[in-house]
This record gives sequence, C-alpha cells and structure tokens, in this order.
Amino acid sequence: MAIIGRILQGSTGFLSLSGGNIPFWGFTDAFRDNPQLPGPFIEATVGDRLIIWLMRNFLKPVEEPFSILFPGQENVLVKKIPGGPYIYEPVRPQYSSGKMISFTNYLDEKQDLIIEYSFIARKPGIYLYESGTNPEKQIQMGLYGIIIIRPVGYNIPEHPNYSTAYGADTNSGFDVEKILVLSEIDSATHNDVAPNVYYDMLKFKPDNWVINGRTFPDTVNEDNNSSQPYGSEINCRVGQRVLLRIVNAGLQNHTLNLGNFVGLAVAEDSYPLKTPSLDATYEKTSVTLGSGQRMDIIITPNASGEYYLFDREYHHLVNNDHFPGGMITKINVSN
Amino acid sequence: MLVIDLWAKDGYLSTPDGNSIYFWGFSKSETGPAQLPGPHIVARGGETITVNLHNTLTEPVSISFSGQSGVTAGGQPVQPQYTDGELLSFVNHAEPGSMVAYTFTPSFPGTFIYESGTNPHKQVPMGLYGGLVVRPTDYNPDAREFKTAYGAGTDTEFDREYLLITGEIDPDMHRVAEEGKPYLVSKYLPRYWTLNGRCAPDTMLMDGLDHLPHQPYGSMVMGQPGEKILMRYIGAGIENHPLHPHGTHTRVVAVDGRLLRNENVDLSFKRFTVLVGAGQTYDQIYQWDGLGYTPQNPIPTILPNLRNMGVGDAGWTMWSGSPYLGVKGDIPVGVVSYNEFGEYYFMLHSHEELQITNWGEFPGGMMTMVAIYPSLSPVIGVLE
Repeated sequence: MAIIGRILQGSTGFLSLSGGNIPFWGFTDAFRDNPQLPGPFIEATVGDRLIIWLMRNFLKPVEEPFSILFPGQENVLVKKIPGGPYIYEPVRPQYSSGKMISFTNYLDEKQDLIIEYSFIARKPGIYLYESGTNPEKQIQMGLYGIIIIRPVGYNIPEHPNYSTAYGADTNSGFDVEKILVLSEIDSATHNDVAPNVYYDMLKFKPDNWVINGRTFPDTVNEDNNSSQPYGSEINCRVGQRVLLRIVNAGLQNHTLNLGNFVGLAVAEDSYPLKTPSLDATYEKTSVTLGSGQRMDIIITPNASGEYYLFDREYHHLVNNDHFPGGMITKINVSN
Repeated sequence: MLVIDLWAKDGYLSTPDGNSIYFWGFSKSETGPAQLPGPHIVARGGETITVNLHNTLTEPVSISFSGQSGVTAGGQPVQPQYTDGELLSFVNHAEPGSMVAYTFTPSFPGTFIYESGTNPHKQVPMGLYGGLVVRPTDYNPDAREFKTAYGAGTDTEFDREYLLITGEIDPDMHRVAEEGKPYLVSKYLPRYWTLNGRCAPDTMLMDGLDHLPHQPYGSMVMGQPGEKILMRYIGAGIENHPLHPHGTHTRVVAVDGRLLRNENVDLSFKRFTVLVGAGQTYDQIYQWDGLGYTPQNPIPTILPNLRNMGVGDAGWTMWSGSPYLGVKGDIPVGVVSYNEFGEYYFMLHSHEELQITNWGEFPGGMMTMVAIYPSLSPVIGVLE
C-alpha cells in the first residue's frame, strides 16, 4: 500500500523513423531532455495510490492544453495549481463556452504549473494512459504511455501470486515478460500538426507501423536513452513461459502473429479469463486488437531458434514500401 | 505419410465483370494451372505431411504453416532466411527454379492457413495461400459420432462441411507485379473481395468449372433443414472481414484450429457476425431449423395472382413458381424456375457492404448463398 508518485511532463522532440527524423509530442519523466514514445512505463501494485503530477515544461512545451486519461482506472481524482481545484475532486470533462474540449481536466501551460491525478490501483493488468484533450490529434502525436499494475506478492518468492500477471489460479505465471505497444505514425501528419491549430485528421495516412515506438529492424535493438527507449526483442529459453502484454495504442486495428507459436490468451482488457468459476483461457496463433484494446498472451516455445512476431496485416511490414520493416520483432529461443 | 507437391506459378484470374487479373498461386501439378486459393490440404492428426514446394516464379517463395510446430526443411527446423543480413523469409524458401521440402506432423485437428513467408506483403495478396484441414485421429465419416471437426465427444459433429477462404485483390498491384514494376504496398487499394478466390456471383457456381481454370472452388453452402453444417472460415487476405450468414446464428467452436473447450467446459459461443481476422481461422456450426419448419409444415408461400407473377419468356420471369421447402406449384411451360427443388436461400456475405461489389458494382464480391434443400445427396458438402 505504497504511494507511487511520478512527475511527468509533455514535451516536443523527434523520432527516428523511416521518413527520417520527424517531430512528435510525448510524455517524459520531468527534467529529462527529451520526450519518449511510448511514455514512461509506470509500475504499481494493487492497493498502491498512484499520484501522477503533470508539470509545466518551460523548455520544450507542447504549447497546447493536454491531459492524461486513465482508461480502466476508477475514481481518478484531480487537483491543480494554481487555479484549482485545490482539494481532490473527481476528474470530469471540461467545457469552454458550452463546448466540450477535453475528456478530463487538463494542463494549460499558459496558466497552470502542475496538475495532479490520483487513483488507487484496484485491479492487476496492463493499462494505457493517454491524453484526453484533442485526443484524435494528441494521441497520434505520441501522448500515450503504459501502466502495469501487479498483484500483491508478485515479487515475493513463496507467495502464491509470485511472478504472475493476475495472481494465483489465473494461469498467468510467467518467466519472461515483454510489453508490446502497437501503433502507427503518419509522418506527414507529424510534420504538419501545429499547436492550437485545427488539423484535419481525415488526412491521416500512416506510413510507419511501430512496436514500442520503433520500426523493424530498430525494434530488435536494446533499450536505450533515446526518444524511443524500449526495444521489443525477446530472449528466452525453451520451455519458459513468455508473457506478451500486447496493447494497441494506435488509431487502427492490428493483428499480431505470435511468431508461429500458439499462445494462450490469459486476459483481455486486463480481465483475467480464468476465474474461480470458469477457465475461459483459449489458444490463438494471431490476435486482432482494436484501438485501445489489450491482451495478455503466454507462449511457451518448445524449440530453440529465431522466430519473428509480426503484424499479419502484411502491408504494415514495410519501411518506405520496402520489406522487411514496420511492425516486426523477434524472439530468440535458446536451449 | 502424405506427400503433396505444390508448384508456385502464375496465371490469370477471371472476375464476373470481365476482368482478367494476373496472379501467383499454387498448383497441384507441374503442368496444371496455378489456383486461388491453393489446393486444399486435408490430413489426419498424427499423420506426417511432406510438402514439396517447386518454385517456378522469378523470386524466392516459401510456405509458412501457421499453428504447426516442428516444421522442418531438409531435416532441420525451419528458420528465418536472410540476404545480405536482411530478413527475406520467415522460413526456408525455394529459390527460383528450385524446390524445398517441408515436413511436419500436425498434433492438433483443425483449420489452418498455409501461405508464403517470403515478401509476404506482396506474395500473399498475389495469391500464394491455401487452406489446411487436419482431421481428428478418430475421424470416421461413416459413423456420426466420429464425423467431427475436433474428435468424438467435443460437440463438433457435422453433416456437411465447407471451407470459405477470404481475400482481397487490388488489380493495380497485380498489374505492377506482372509488369515487374516497383510494388508500392502503400498504394494498396482492393477493388475485388473474394471467397475461395472468386467474386460473386461466381462464388455460387460449382467447383471445377472449365471457364474458371484458376479458381476451382465454389462457395455455395448447401444442406438440409436441421443438419449441422460446418463452416471453416480462413482469413487469407491482409484485411479483416465481418462475415455473416442469414437464417441463423453460427456457433463458433474453434479459433485458429484450437477447440474452444477447457476440460469439460464448453467455451463455444454463438455469433451474428464473425470478424474474420487476417491470418486467422474460425470453425463454426450452422444449423437451420426454420421457424417451426417440418416437411409436413413447409415454409408457407402465398401464391400471387398470375397477373402479378411477371411470367414471361424464358429468363424474364420474376416469380419462380415456388413455395420454399414445400410442394412446388405449376408454372407455365418454358418459364425458368430459380429454385428447381424448392430450396430456400440465405445470403452469406461480408457486412462491410462495399465488399459485396465488384469494383463498386453491386452485387458481387465477398458474397455467396446458403441453400437449404428439402433433400440433398450426401456427396454434397464433402471436403477432400
């Protein structure tokens, strides 16, 4: 029952993609130089109170109001300095002249210093956080990240929940875990979007398909300190249980083929499929996820070798129309 | 042991609006036509399958067997292939003019896709895909209890079965491939949507027609009232398609060739529409019992006044002379009847209605019919 506090900022930076360096907006831990895609992974344990401070960025601000929405979390509270509310109240949609302008309370860097969101982690799982302000534009520009909520005891050997995604008796025990955040990027949109100016998202025509903000072959590089810090290559041994936590943060559907393995779906949208009354886990070779959906899948490789995971919507496996690229990553299975 | 030879070659597809489209497909024999989809492979669980792929195309081709483990090529487990350090194929491939032999032993019954794992953004839309059906080890078509999709006791008995494979065709991309020009998949814009490689109304024609040499498989689903009709959907295209039969809901019994059942708990579910996802398979039982239909209580049809029947010369009659699933009425000599046997038709189609056109013209595309006959030969709806 700890308090998990994170100070985040929104910031502008550049992504290295097939179209060269293209601008993006992203979340970052405060006082770091660059924003990142996806935003920082935030971990908590069931029962923890999460407090996310979203702070004004004086150096590279987004320059338009933005916010954080926490889909799947309940009873999110908010405070804001200055301007109020000064004591916690529930987040709510925001209006200007009778027009809804944000799904939730937002940070306007012209006048606000800091906005504080707070909620108690109730259910284990993998969750998105994303901007609720001009979301058709801002999420695509990169303002999204991931929250992982662990069951109590997940890190205590001997505890029945040890090394599980959803606790004992949910068939979610794992040896290796990998978060795979799927999305797509339109470099023309990224070059043309300007803060506080209407952008016609009907022009959205993505030319980059990313896992954890990177296109193949960058996906198989290690984690680093760039604006695309998270690699998605997976290393495991034969017989290990590999938990793939697949999140679709994009605006389009994506179909992940599991490297020709047959995976066991153990949770959908962070609801475990095995409950005391019913084991509804099921097996799949590919999964189609709609925007905002998540799926936890366990694969247990039975032979050593190299295997590729990829978007079965094959036109997403290119960079500048050249295969291989886009939404591909790799599993290395050793004996 | 089952040994299958497949030749990757090119050919021309025919569409109902008169188009002729260059494509790549698998052929059953060295001299036979390339076909879309590739030849159905029907095997039995536990039976070792060897597929010899002969590549007559001008670029490397491979076959990836989705959902199968322990696939070997030349005795070694299949592995990704590289050229100058860059990924070329997800599995071992055959260079132009050469062959590769894949061997595996399916350990699970079910419906699976096989498809090229080389330049898949190009080769799969070009037509290098097919369906693999694996029978349960206890399969016996002569004993009802053992004529199942997933084994006795799995509640997957069926009377007839049909394989329906979805796909899309962008004719411009196919022409680019024919002319050897750069294949820019960012311009991918399908204009035809196919079931078993055909567009409606060709989907409703029989298998193996002379005038469709490259598209041997029809998609007409036929059965009798109350029969369990097993529909095996495979999404072979790169887009998702919401398929939906009229008449009754289907019960989805398996996905990706895996039975929806844990121990004794039945996880099958009924659906109005099944979203056939790219590269995924869905096995479902369609059972039409009618609204109180029995042979003694046929579907009532109020016979119109003769003046309202629009009876005319052959081919111009607007009334078929039919009570559905009942005793047919008399029709004037020379008038064509559209349901010769009093059969009852339901549509089966993509619910993205743009896809039930041929290049925008309705009707066409990803559409076929389910025909319920008062009685039907047992040789209809058999997959071999």
